[in-house]
Amino acid sequence: MKGTHLGEFEELILLIVGVLYPDAYGLNIREEVINQSGRKVAIGAVHSALSRLEEKGFLKSELAVGTHKRGGRRKRLFQITAAGKEAIKTNRDLRNDLWSQISDLAWNNNIDAIFRAI
Amino acid sequence: MPSSEPYNPPKLAERFLRTFCRKELQDEVLGDLYEHYQELRIGNAKWRADMKYWYHVFHFLRPFAFNKKYNSNLMVMYNNYLKFAWRIITKHKAISLMNIVSLSIGFACFIFISIYVNHELSYDQFHDRSENIKRIAIDFMDEKGNRTPDATTPPALAPALINSFEEVGSSVRFMPNWGNKYLLGTSDDKRFFEEELIRTDSTFFDVFSFPFLYGSPNTALDQINSIVLTKRAALKHFGKMEVIGEEITLFRTDDNSTYVVTGVLENIPENSHFTFDYLTRLTFENIDQNWGWFNFYTYVKMNPLSDEVVFENKLQPFYEKQSEGAEYFNMIYSQPLTDIHLKSKLKWELGVNGDMTNIYIFSALGIFVLLISCLNYLNLTIAQSFARFKEVGVRKTFGAHQNTLAGQFVFETILITIFALIAGVAMAQLLFMNLESLIGFEVKLYEPQHLNTLFPAMISALFIGILSGVYPAVHFASFKVATAVKGVINSKGKSLVSMRKVLLAIQFALSAIMICGSLVVYEQLNHLNTKNKGLSTDQVLVLENANKLPNQATLKSELESLNAVSEVGFANGIVGGTNWTTGLGYPDEILMNYIVIDDGLLKTLNLELLAGRNFDKERKSDYEGLKIIVNETGLEQMGYTLSDIGLELPFTVQNDTIVNGTIVGVVKDFHFTNYKSKIQPYAFLARDNALPYAHIKLSTNDLAHSISELETTWNELTGGLPMEYYFLDETFNSLHLEQVKLSKILLYLTTLSILIAFIGMYAIANITIKDQLKEIALRKVLGGSVISVSQRVINKFLVIVLIANIIGLPIAYVLTSSWLNEFAYRITVGIGIFFLAISSTMLVAWLTVGYQSFRAAITNPAKVLKQD
Repeated sequence: MKGTHLGEFEELILLIVGVLYPDAYGLNIREEVINQSGRKVAIGAVHSALSRLEEKGFLKSELAVGTHKRGGRRKRLFQITAAGKEAIKTNRDLRNDLWSQISDLAWNNNIDAIFRAI
Repeated sequence: MPSSEPYNPPKLAERFLRTFCRKELQDEVLGDLYEHYQELRIGNAKWRADMKYWYHVFHFLRPFAFNKKYNSNLMVMYNNYLKFAWRIITKHKAISLMNIVSLSIGFACFIFISIYVNHELSYDQFHDRSENIKRIAIDFMDEKGNRTPDATTPPALAPALINSFEEVGSSVRFMPNWGNKYLLGTSDDKRFFEEELIRTDSTFFDVFSFPFLYGSPNTALDQINSIVLTKRAALKHFGKMEVIGEEITLFRTDDNSTYVVTGVLENIPENSHFTFDYLTRLTFENIDQNWGWFNFYTYVKMNPLSDEVVFENKLQPFYEKQSEGAEYFNMIYSQPLTDIHLKSKLKWELGVNGDMTNIYIFSALGIFVLLISCLNYLNLTIAQSFARFKEVGVRKTFGAHQNTLAGQFVFETILITIFALIAGVAMAQLLFMNLESLIGFEVKLYEPQHLNTLFPAMISALFIGILSGVYPAVHFASFKVATAVKGVINSKGKSLVSMRKVLLAIQFALSAIMICGSLVVYEQLNHLNTKNKGLSTDQVLVLENANKLPNQATLKSELESLNAVSEVGFANGIVGGTNWTTGLGYPDEILMNYIVIDDGLLKTLNLELLAGRNFDKERKSDYEGLKIIVNETGLEQMGYTLSDIGLELPFTVQNDTIVNGTIVGVVKDFHFTNYKSKIQPYAFLARDNALPYAHIKLSTNDLAHSISELETTWNELTGGLPMEYYFLDETFNSLHLEQVKLSKILLYLTTLSILIAFIGMYAIANITIKDQLKEIALRKVLGGSVISVSQRVINKFLVIVLIANIIGLPIAYVLTSSWLNEFAYRITVGIGIFFLAISSTMLVAWLTVGYQSFRAAITNPAKVLKQD
């Protein structure tokens, strides 16, 4: 289904919006991304992902009143929608399902052994 | 929060964001950025916080944030611009190509020069706190107050400095190999002769910070038997890099010593003024009190806030206290580490140093060529857009604003300059690949560290792009639409034409200067190389370790019996490579350079005996006492003449008694140092010892065969000792490497700048002749001959070139003369060089314009006149 696909970075943002509830907005989402995943991203990249997620209907937002700390400007607080939750869950289920299908043998992989046999 | 007052983010960045960002997004984005900026300011300097703020603003240049309406309009407009730009480029293919090529040549030269110059300026700056590191040098003084600059110092200096000066944070001394070779290896059958071995103190890494791959700088040299290798050395001996704890043996004739590897370094960077592959501890006894053994180099790292002037002033008194009672004192002083490569010209430097004069010359050249090509571009573009007045007239009729017109022109020109920049970077890469062996380091322009150097080129690309776009746009703004569409050139058009001539003249003046410059440099080098060298180093191969053989006479006769060998001579050093000196002369001592040789060396090096004789194997007395062969300068400075040859003469004073010697022969003066300095006194002595350097003059050009013959003989005689050899030319070339670099790079740049001027002339002539086609046709109809008609056009251009030469040549004379003044032996700048510069530029102009005007003149006038 094109348009409602959840990209890897988008999924990360979506999860972090959930983690930060009820105070998830651009700047602190970025900080949390850096702290939790160690990925250094620009504020613009976060805003870009947020706006895509909102377009897809995975997030909803409302404007909160401005504070002195922000030079009197308002901030946009994000929240996961039901569709958003569904999307993360689908991703998670798929992953868990695939994980459980991997046989133990694959982990003690022995490419060396195979080649030695040749 | 340390401060209650909020910081204001950069206004310009905010305004910039507002210009493109969607209205409904602005508030939250600016809010986030504002909040972020407050945090940035707490941990960072203002400029850094501002930079980061800008960084984030630029990251909002993404489709999602764009103002949709504004965006689509913009796209349509730029699409239109792009279409027109493409049409113009393809309509005048030849001129567009010339435009791009000439501009990219300029960029290429500029990028090449700036990277080269930056590399030269970057020497030794990779060390931590490099600005605080100094080398201490001691110049020798004699009783008459003559000063011989010298980089070496005694071993007692380094420990004394750290004990006596609170300014000195750490000090280190080291001793290079002094021409010795060390047989190093892991086993008897895997060992090599190595010369890049330095012996030093455990404090080496307190002063220098060569990066470690394995091991720690704090403990690497703690043990007396530790050795630190470079990556290259580790790979050579062990085939891997992680070799901490491995053992490596130094093989000596009497006993071997084994070292344990305690550190592996990155290879020593090309921009270090000294190099090494092996680092071990000094093991001499009682050297901490030795003030007389000048075999060491001393470096100190000053404490961060210490006063350098105070330190410098205290050095001499401190040194004189150590050598109390002496009648005259040597001069001690410090040199900043980062200045050594370009500014230090002492005796016994650790490597081949650069030359600050060349850095200035190269920088000027780089800017020159860029300037020539930018002027050229400006000239062509303005001339070309001037021919577009009809298009402008139509655009204006349809309501084009002055700003949009300027926007269009600027867009086009910037597009072309960007093309040219890309082509220029590729061309610069080609230049680097061609000149890699000359400049001595490899450059890959796509690596990120070169971005800094590309930056000025980018700025100038943008600048001339904007300038050459805005100028015609402003010019067209004042056009009356009606006259423009009709195609009537108003009076302002004339001023444009004369500016064209001025720009052309400047280009040719700069080219004339460069032609003169490269001719002078070439002639000067040629003069020194061929007429004044005094000895021949061609096809002379130096074989090292010749003294490791039991019998030197056997080696000599074996070598002489080979077909490929014409002469063999032995010495304990290399003329041009070794710097041994001694005081000689009575009553006044002079500084005499010397080496010890056998009876074959003079002939091998083709040194011409003016009087007297060579050393003679049959006369045992030649090999004892002070029997010397001296050069002309040496003879003169010792105060003797040719008639004193063979006499017993007072040479020097030792323990209050006069020591006599004999001048056996006198050789013609020869160059053994940098060409810039005067020829110094030089003496040859003979001794019966085994001498380490065998000089072999080869008689054939078949080098590969000759060397394999030599190798066979060597292996037979030595039983498998590695053969180490090089050509004497290499040593001599390194003496004047800087001049060779200058002449080669100058040649490249001059050729390229002439090419640019050529292209510029061609294109301008092309445009001018197009304007004059009607005039030419009319003249022919009225009876003008092809020759007289085309001559009229050519003459106009020749006058410009002549004026350019009249302006350029005096400047060239002043510049080249001041360059030549640095040489002890110099050519005089003759009229011939100027004549060559004038005639070559005139010829270029005559050919380019002549061809086109001739072609215009032979076309049928009817064809031209029937148009419109």
